[in-house]
Amino acid sequence: MSLEPVAIVGIGETRPVRRSEKSLRGLVIEAVQAALADAGLKPTDVDAIVTDGLVMPNTVPRDFVAAQFGIDRRFDGGLSYTGAGIANAPKLAQFAISSGQADVVLCYFGVDWGTRASGPYGFHDLYEGKGTFEKPYGFSAQPSYFALWATRYMHEYGLTEQDLATIAVTQRQNALLRELAQAKSPMSYDDYFAARVVSSPLRVPDCCLITDGAAAFVMTSRERARDLRQPPVQVLGVGFGSEPISGDDGFTQPGGMMHITGAKAAADRALGEAGIGLADVNFAEIYDCFTISCLMQLEAIGFCERGEGPAFIREIGLGIGGGLPVNTHGGLLSHSYLLGIEHIIEGVRQLRGQAGDAQVSDAEIGLVGLLSNPDYGVLLLGRDAR
Amino acid sequence: MSSDKVSPEFVGFFENARQGRLAFPKCRACGQFHWYPMPVCPHCYEDQIFWQPVAGTGEIFSYTHVRHPFDKSRRDALPYTVALISFPDAPGVNFITNIIDAAEADITIEGKVNPVFSTSETDEPIVLFRLAE
Repeated sequence: MSLEPVAIVGIGETRPVRRSEKSLRGLVIEAVQAALADAGLKPTDVDAIVTDGLVMPNTVPRDFVAAQFGIDRRFDGGLSYTGAGIANAPKLAQFAISSGQADVVLCYFGVDWGTRASGPYGFHDLYEGKGTFEKPYGFSAQPSYFALWATRYMHEYGLTEQDLATIAVTQRQNALLRELAQAKSPMSYDDYFAARVVSSPLRVPDCCLITDGAAAFVMTSRERARDLRQPPVQVLGVGFGSEPISGDDGFTQPGGMMHITGAKAAADRALGEAGIGLADVNFAEIYDCFTISCLMQLEAIGFCERGEGPAFIREIGLGIGGGLPVNTHGGLLSHSYLLGIEHIIEGVRQLRGQAGDAQVSDAEIGLVGLLSNPDYGVLLLGRDAR
Repeated sequence: MSSDKVSPEFVGFFENARQGRLAFPKCRACGQFHWYPMPVCPHCYEDQIFWQPVAGTGEIFSYTHVRHPFDKSRRDALPYTVALISFPDAPGVNFITNIIDAAEADITIEGKVNPVFSTSETDEPIVLFRLAE
């Protein structure tokens, strides 16, 4: 089967907030309405819905969205969980479109972990090993998982707190250029070092925000995209990667501890499909759940060798005008914690030239890398060539 | 948690800990350890798994001092140290625990530690560690 090129033609998002007055279902509907309006499409133009296979089915299922918009689905699918799944939504859309099973595919994602009682920490309860052998020791929160990695990484590779600060401070600067970003106050290096340590060596600004919010995007064939309202953004390549290690073991055991193996496989698959190299990428939107994980993904994807991340970010510059602008909207650290879908929205915005003061000049190709340990998704987006 | 809620693959750990022994799952077919306990060996996919007692002395692979009450029940116990321990006689196992009775400044990567078995009438035993003399 030869695959038909596809494009992202509509994007929508709610204003991300710590606690929303709206229900999560209401937030998703708002984001989908915005994405359809942005594309200039009617709800009834949509004939397929895809999203992640774990969080949305238990909160805002696809049938609910279909019913609220009168979308009569011809095709429907759930992918790997959270970010890695959402990054691969364009691949599933491409399969459906190329095989004649859909014309217009909607993808949405949202969380209400700002108001939901268990927040993000409840998520790992599905892993029995963690529940039995980690929780009784007070080891049940993502900041502590990545703090263990950071301590060891500092020991092995000479990473400093100053390097982690650079990631946090740079992304805050990016976020302050965006009206929608959740973080509103400037942050200097002094502010970073004055911030509270939550799980050493990680401080509050090393950790992602907590957000209530939702986002959505609409995909169709590249051919049909050219007739729509917005400059279409091309899907150049999509890659999934993982490793055979379960979520029980992924943060602590020798096979998973400090490894993001799936990122390399996902990046190689996406780059191979696009027929480009990392040197062709003008900016990157990376799953920055923590400063340390953002750094380690830059290495794992292949922007630099393992252990060279600290030197890489010191030299290349991650800001808007830097050698590799990263998380141009502020990322999960300073824009919003929607588990990666906002990274895709931002990639589209950059490639349309609609990023305002945070616009990367001459942005032609962007890489989105989303982590759902041990799964990983890489999406390569390109500016329309017309 | 009470024992009737513990997954069958996990029971051997607590049976040993109640006797003051640290033991980890090992595969008879390939001779390798793994952790956490699971129905088949993740190295060779055979199901001939048994519990192999180890000496207990381990080494700190990494650690974090937790200062935020992620777990509300620990609000009054802050800060505490979570450490990941590796064992010379159980390669392939990294064990999450707490380091007790130690000043934070004395806790270092590669520091040697010994287990302390904490048992109660109602809950499964937990295995804490102290810095070796």
